[in-house]
Amino acid sequence: MLAATLVFTTGAEAACYATYKAKRDDPLRLHYGVAEVTSPDCTPEAASVELAPRLALDGWILLAIVEMIDADKLGEVRKSAGDYFLRY
Amino acid sequence: MRATISSDTDSRKVARSVVIGLAAIVAILLVAAVFLFVNLPDANAFNARVERIFIENDLTTQAEIKLLEILAQSGTSFGDTLTSYRMVIFVLMVFASALLIAALVFLVTIIGLNRRMSEIEKRGIDISSLMISRAENKVYLNDMAFSLTPANVETLSVLAEARLDDEYLSGTAIEAVLTGRNETDCEEAAGATRIKRLRDSLGNQLVSEVLVRNVAKKGYVLACPPEAIRVQ
Repeated sequence: MLAATLVFTTGAEAACYATYKAKRDDPLRLHYGVAEVTSPDCTPEAASVELAPRLALDGWILLAIVEMIDADKLGEVRKSAGDYFLRY
Repeated sequence: MRATISSDTDSRKVARSVVIGLAAIVAILLVAAVFLFVNLPDANAFNARVERIFIENDLTTQAEIKLLEILAQSGTSFGDTLTSYRMVIFVLMVFASALLIAALVFLVTIIGLNRRMSEIEKRGIDISSLMISRAENKVYLNDMAFSLTPANVETLSVLAEARLDDEYLSGTAIEAVLTGRNETDCEEAAGATRIKRLRDSLGNQLVSEVLVRNVAKKGYVLACPPEAIRVQ
């Protein structure tokens, strides 16, 4: 029972995804993407803390976290995110 | 001993007002330029607006995002036009300030001329040209011709030459130059007589020209406006 709970929670943690909006200056480029959040609490605040440095590596500036989604909802956003689906 | 210094306070005042005026014009130009550069929106204003639209609205499909990027690009190109506008406005401002400076300089010149004119009016006659014609035995003062005797012309020529050299001549010196004798053999009174004859002849004609006019078949008249006359 305990093990099952553990597996369930870790599973839930692994299945935490965030959709976000980011930009790059000069010239202005925008993108909407989906990224996995590895931090234990699945909140927009934690996601932005985690995602901002990851995006900054490629010169992207995180503008906003749109929402937190589960793994089973990834299919809905895959088309919109396009190239940025789970890229960062 | 200290030399006597005559200072012209008026011209100094004028010079100071010119400096103040020029400084004011430059200050106005600078303030206007600063306002201009501060108040014109920069190219980034469009990008910031597009960014806000992207964040605040549910624009997530790739086509929508592409459109937003194009919007931002057109804004940026308009920003380039704005810089050229800024340049044009600045050039116009420079022209305007040049005109202001020219106007100030002209104003100061007019004030100076007015002052000189009133001085001339007070002094009576201002000699701007003196031409001695030995052949005609005439002297031209500001285009007014006066006939003189040959002796008077000689005296006047001697005085004119001395004036060119910035020299003062005594009666004896005048007599010596005119007769060619040594100064010790000449008398002061002889030179003074020559001056007196010149003054009488020239003064008489000068007064008849500028003050007591004789108009043919009409008579004598004072050559001054009636409002200038005051009897006390």
